[in-house]
Amino acid sequence: MIGVFSYLVFFLCVVLILGVVALGLNLQWGYTGLFNAGVVGFYAIGAYTHAILVTSPQPQMLGNLGLPWIVGILGAMVASALAAWVVGLATIRLRGDYLAIATFGIATTIQLVTLNWDSLTGGAQGLSPIPRPLAWWFGSPLGFNLFYLGVLIAVVAAVYWALETILRSPWGRVLKAIREDETAAIALGKSARSFRLQAFVLGSTLMGLAGALYVSFIGFVSPFDFLPILTFQIWAMVIVGGSGNNKGALLGALTVWAIWAVSGVLIAKLVPPTYAAQGGAVQVILIGLLLVASLLFRPRGLIGEVPVVSRHADD
Amino acid sequence: MHKWIAIPAALAAALLLAPADAAAQASCPVKIGGVLPLTGSMGPITKKIAESAQLAVEHINAGGGVKGCPVQFILRDDQGQPTVGVDAAKYLVEVERVPAFTGTISSGVTGPIISSITAPSKVVQISCCSTATPFTLDGRSQGYFFRTLPTSKTQAVATAAEMTRRGLKKTAIIYVNTDFGQDMLRFVKIALPKLGGDVVAEVPYTDNQPSYRAEVTKALAEKPESLLLIGFPKDAVTIVREWLSLGGTQKIALNNSMRVKDFVDGVGGRFLNESFGMDNAQVEGPTVDAFNKAFEAKYKYDSKGPGVHTQYDAMMVLGLAMNIAKDLTGPSIKDAVRQVHAAGGATVGTGPDEYKKALDLIKAGRPIKYHGATGPIEFDANGDVTGPALVWKIVNGEIVTDHVISIDQMQALFKKIDG
Repeated sequence: MIGVFSYLVFFLCVVLILGVVALGLNLQWGYTGLFNAGVVGFYAIGAYTHAILVTSPQPQMLGNLGLPWIVGILGAMVASALAAWVVGLATIRLRGDYLAIATFGIATTIQLVTLNWDSLTGGAQGLSPIPRPLAWWFGSPLGFNLFYLGVLIAVVAAVYWALETILRSPWGRVLKAIREDETAAIALGKSARSFRLQAFVLGSTLMGLAGALYVSFIGFVSPFDFLPILTFQIWAMVIVGGSGNNKGALLGALTVWAIWAVSGVLIAKLVPPTYAAQGGAVQVILIGLLLVASLLFRPRGLIGEVPVVSRHADD
Repeated sequence: MHKWIAIPAALAAALLLAPADAAAQASCPVKIGGVLPLTGSMGPITKKIAESAQLAVEHINAGGGVKGCPVQFILRDDQGQPTVGVDAAKYLVEVERVPAFTGTISSGVTGPIISSITAPSKVVQISCCSTATPFTLDGRSQGYFFRTLPTSKTQAVATAAEMTRRGLKKTAIIYVNTDFGQDMLRFVKIALPKLGGDVVAEVPYTDNQPSYRAEVTKALAEKPESLLLIGFPKDAVTIVREWLSLGGTQKIALNNSMRVKDFVDGVGGRFLNESFGMDNAQVEGPTVDAFNKAFEAKYKYDSKGPGVHTQYDAMMVLGLAMNIAKDLTGPSIKDAVRQVHAAGGATVGTGPDEYKKALDLIKAGRPIKYHGATGPIEFDANGDVTGPALVWKIVNGEIVTDHVISIDQMQALFKKIDG
């Protein structure tokens, strides 16, 4: 059973990392109504910033500064925040689907830059070995994964607590007001543009943080980690879990990633070996069916949005 | 219980129940894992590769399995996505307890699997298709990663050697801008100057363009006396035609992909009498033919296609190494992989009968030399296969073999270049 436990620890680490991305998107879409279709772009910026800062120096590379892990994490957050601010200044006035197209294009551009800027990102070869924090200290992979799971639980708890706190504050209520009726929010004297930009930058910073956490867990980064499919997986997590609810985003991350993993296990178990080559296609169909079913039966997500009023409302 | 607890709990329960039979790992059947992109952008080419792996498993089982047990091949789909591939590999290693697995194709998926699973968990991984050079070179795999396709280095060094042997100078290089093209360029640029050649222009190109006039003009501006073209046949036809029509030399060196009639006919054989190219010399021989026949007999179509031959060898090497290894742990299998092609061993080939012959030799404590679907398979210190190279040329529109650069000569060249 130690093997199953070890796998579950690993699985939960991935879920928590994706959960941080889902929390970021939930802030942008669930609370503010920003259709960010370029999630993977900010995730990539965080991942590469971390990799470039902490990987030990190599002669042919521009970056690879060999800095401590925590500098890489903070650097990743700063870089993705800056990138989101610049992107946001240019695009935040766009509504709905226009913003989606713009951000999608930006994410693709970022991925192509990582593929072609060889001297900084290693190009198609990827960048490695990215040091995994204290990995040398742990004798077994399970030891390291347990330690990292602890780190991730702490990070997710902190992020969750911070988000809940600010979203229940007047600031959070302005975001919801903008989502529901932007004109009304402006009429009340709120600068919708500024609030949208703040939510966009904050959400993207979380995506960058998750990118850094991911590469320091895996120890390798390449442009293939940042294909558009990941954006859609994160979207599925937020929608399935229940947009506008942070618990929902985390539960969505767990559910959707479990669907991916469990369907693969089921196919490997149930499809006869001679048809194993066709099993992959069945798995993709199964994933699609499960996602559609969950939306049919739980259209507001597994746990939908909970009405929140000011705690001073009854005063 | 809340609904939002019930659902993950059910999923966790499914995960816990699934591997109930994994505890019996020590006995039969012996499990070998596989991670391949059955769906996604690589899906179309992977179908044949997965079938080739399946064929190898059948041959292994028909020839006596592993240590008297039949082999169970557990194949997972990585969908061409690194996170999915890493999860699948982790499942195979931890839950199914496979001591070795094969995979995968895209270097972007193989890389994270090596760094997060193969090396830390000490399991053996053999890839049919991932070319990115650093995997075997920078020590991150700790010797647990092997691949059965020759890396670009062999071909690049052989090309440089043949170019200097023919006295070609002032070379322009036009290359396809992918990890393959970049790798080839890098090694040619290291090798050529050390062997007496020189490079005057390096021009990358993007595939599937209607014209390459701009690239060709840029290369010709440096007044090169020879051309090295690294790419794929369809675009290469366009490039060479434009090169010749703009007054470029007919002294053209080509890579292995151009060793096809379509390329020669597309350009016109009479323009290519001074051209030559490289290939791995391992793509011929009786064991190769035997594999091709077996594949066609089973699947009713030919075995042509990327990765089909190297995947078969990856599986057969795993099967043989697991028999040679004193126990079925990663470290033992890792050491045994190098004994699959031992000095002074008796030659064994492809197919169930040859596999059985190999098992008899192993049981008798005698060394073996595996010759697979891609010829002799011998891993170097890094886990790469080294092989002889073959120089081909075009005579009156026909592709003919010029000569073979033997393994010994290749190693002498490597020494000269690496110092």
